[in-house]
Amino acid sequence: MYLFANATIYIGLAIAVYSLLIITLGISTKNQKFVNSGKSGMIALFICAAMAMIAMFYLLATSQFQYEYVTDYTSSELPIIYKLTALWAGNAGSLLLWTFFLTLYMIMIAYSRKMKGNPMVPYISAILLANAVFFFFILGFVAKPFNILDTVPTEGKGLNPMLQNPGMIIHPVTLYLGYVGLAVPFAFAMAALLMKNVDDFWIKMTRRWTIVAWLFLSLGNIFGGQWAYVELGWGGYWAWDAVENASFMPWLTATAFLHSVMIQERKNMLKIWNISLIIVSYALTLFGTFLVRSGVLTSVHAFANSNLGLYFLIFMGVAVILALYVLMSRYNLLKRSAGEFNSIVSKESSFLVNNLLLVGAAFATFWGTVFPLVSEAVRGTKVTVGMPFFNKVEAPILLSMMFVMAVCPLLAWQKSTVKNLRKNFMIPAILAVIGMALMVILGIQKAWAVIGYGVIILLLVTHFLEFYRGVKARRKMTKESPFVALYRLMVRNRRRYGGYIVHLGIAFITMGIIGSQNYDVETMKTVPLGQSIELRDYRINYDRLDQKKEGINDIVYADVTVFKNGKKLGTFQPEKVFYGNWEQPSSEVAIISSLKEDLYIVLSAWEDNGKATFVVKVNPMMDWLWIGSFMIVIGALFAVWNGKYGNVTPRYTGVRKEVS
Amino acid sequence: MKKKLYLGLLLIAFIFQTSFLRVEASQINYKSAEFKAVAEQFACTCGCGQDHYECDPNTCNLTKAFKKDLVGMMNKGWDKDKIRQYYVNIYGEEILTSPEKSGFSLTAWVLPFVVIGLAAIAVFIIIRKWVKQKGSEAVMTDCESTEDEVEGEILSSMIDEERKKYL
Repeated sequence: MYLFANATIYIGLAIAVYSLLIITLGISTKNQKFVNSGKSGMIALFICAAMAMIAMFYLLATSQFQYEYVTDYTSSELPIIYKLTALWAGNAGSLLLWTFFLTLYMIMIAYSRKMKGNPMVPYISAILLANAVFFFFILGFVAKPFNILDTVPTEGKGLNPMLQNPGMIIHPVTLYLGYVGLAVPFAFAMAALLMKNVDDFWIKMTRRWTIVAWLFLSLGNIFGGQWAYVELGWGGYWAWDAVENASFMPWLTATAFLHSVMIQERKNMLKIWNISLIIVSYALTLFGTFLVRSGVLTSVHAFANSNLGLYFLIFMGVAVILALYVLMSRYNLLKRSAGEFNSIVSKESSFLVNNLLLVGAAFATFWGTVFPLVSEAVRGTKVTVGMPFFNKVEAPILLSMMFVMAVCPLLAWQKSTVKNLRKNFMIPAILAVIGMALMVILGIQKAWAVIGYGVIILLLVTHFLEFYRGVKARRKMTKESPFVALYRLMVRNRRRYGGYIVHLGIAFITMGIIGSQNYDVETMKTVPLGQSIELRDYRINYDRLDQKKEGINDIVYADVTVFKNGKKLGTFQPEKVFYGNWEQPSSEVAIISSLKEDLYIVLSAWEDNGKATFVVKVNPMMDWLWIGSFMIVIGALFAVWNGKYGNVTPRYTGVRKEVS
Repeated sequence: MKKKLYLGLLLIAFIFQTSFLRVEASQINYKSAEFKAVAEQFACTCGCGQDHYECDPNTCNLTKAFKKDLVGMMNKGWDKDKIRQYYVNIYGEEILTSPEKSGFSLTAWVLPFVVIGLAAIAVFIIIRKWVKQKGSEAVMTDCESTEDEVEGEILSSMIDEERKKYL
């Protein structure tokens, strides 16, 4: 097994190098045979990565503790699902997963129906292969997944209990799919530049792949937040930790690209900017990995410190320099076809403002993340840049972003006249102002909340009007029933209405964030058995304290009965779990959810006389966050789904005969 | 006699004061808003990545002692700025969860907005330039506009007809 497992890595490295060289040779000599050989090599590479994954799964599942990785992240009593998911618990394993996804994406593109006969394929393949060479090199020489120990331990060290949660099964997978996914638009961009051909086909394909990567990146962040909320027992979901920031930054820049590419599509402008956004998004995924794996910043997510980060930094540097060189060398070509704007107030301009704010938010996140390093370098003083900083700096930027999002759908392409503005915005603006006034009257008086919810009302109304006007226009011509008209309107404009669904999802998430950040209440009380804790409308009766054993873990739990306004909601069990093979205990919280708010109960401590300490929190509107997240997924899938009336990708109609 | 009376009164006041303080000390809830305002300024260094408000005193001894000290200072009547200054003097700026808004650290707060502001000006100038470019071309093509309008109308009616077919 040892030989087989290691062979998959080293043979993989050899194949990756071979395929890269032969494809490059094929491109330069225009020899289809060489290119085909390289493409076949990519299948072999995928098989190698898949075999390495299977080998690792097998070793983990059968607890082969002679392997360092198996010992470090599993123990024999671990449930099988967590034994398997331990594959991405450590450095080497997670990079193996990354490599597997990279090879998977590679063959998906090289052998896709849409790309058949396309001369871009060899270029894209070569760029992705260069990435694969790097990752196989790392797996072969730096973070080796199949290292064997001199002495075989009888038991493994076990998996960090925090990672033993369904959220942790899926969070890293989606995040890596997003990270690796951004390498695809990068490869498309570089291929287009090298071929001097940034046409419609390029835009459609790149946009599609960016949405896929963006969706996975969103999912990764959402699952991470959800995991933090239920597992960490602090009642929050986003801590602006360096690693969270690392995945948020490419998300912001990819979002910016998805919007600005529309201007390129319509007006053939902003080509350089769009390609720069793709390069930056790709570079930020590598930068994030550098942060996580180098230990330069303190982070709860950090892997064991190693020099791995340095390799990523070097790789990122090389990739960015090469990409910028290619971009500069094609500068004139891209600049030549620049168009112009008709008016200062137009949809085009609002997209530029959107880009400014999204990239601005990404810069603010970047600056806050690296500021501890900057401060230490400049004046030798370490500083901590934590949640209060990011909340204060990002809130105005992201709220302005929401405003642009609310306004943009009603701005006309080309030019918005005063008359047009008045006609489109009068009703939404009046409704938003009435909503804000009502909020103040009803007692919601915190400035951020009032402004934030006001902007969200504006957004909901403008988006409703978009759907309403679309349906109305359609019905005028087709005389369909409203629902049929809505359905057909949406499936015939998938990207547009998918985008709007995503906007609505973001609005719901923002509602949840504003509610839970501004109106949460919390208490920590020690009560004897039979007594109760009261918080807002809730009464929590502390009925029983007991302990049980699950496998090698001891669990202390409390039975609490929850009443809301005197009405019984049920009996719940917040727990504290003491692990047989881990020092730190963890809290299993009791969460009682409703659309209005979550009641969040943590069993914090207890005494011999039965007294127990509880932390009780009321988090308003948390469900809106999850509903919004769900809508983002639906919207993004709706946009990329290739239905009968979907946006048919134009066949490649290049002028030059090339290898493909 | 008077002196004794004063002394007695002082003693009573002293006793009353301490008992009063004790009552207040037991009243400070680690999850109260007043404690939050003070404690969330300080980063816990146990490796949890949280501040001293969030960090659980039942699992982290560091924050247990820290929280006790904070309550002690609050009972002495120190406000959050004084407590902040006290800890910054001992541990430096690193103890804070966000950089100071003075000196070099001010750049952390200001730079993002300066950059966005400058970029906003640049975007405005660029859009204006593009609009102007279009404007100058529009003057040149003005004479052809009436003909264009008629053509445009015919074109849009044709597009409408086509559109109906595909809806």
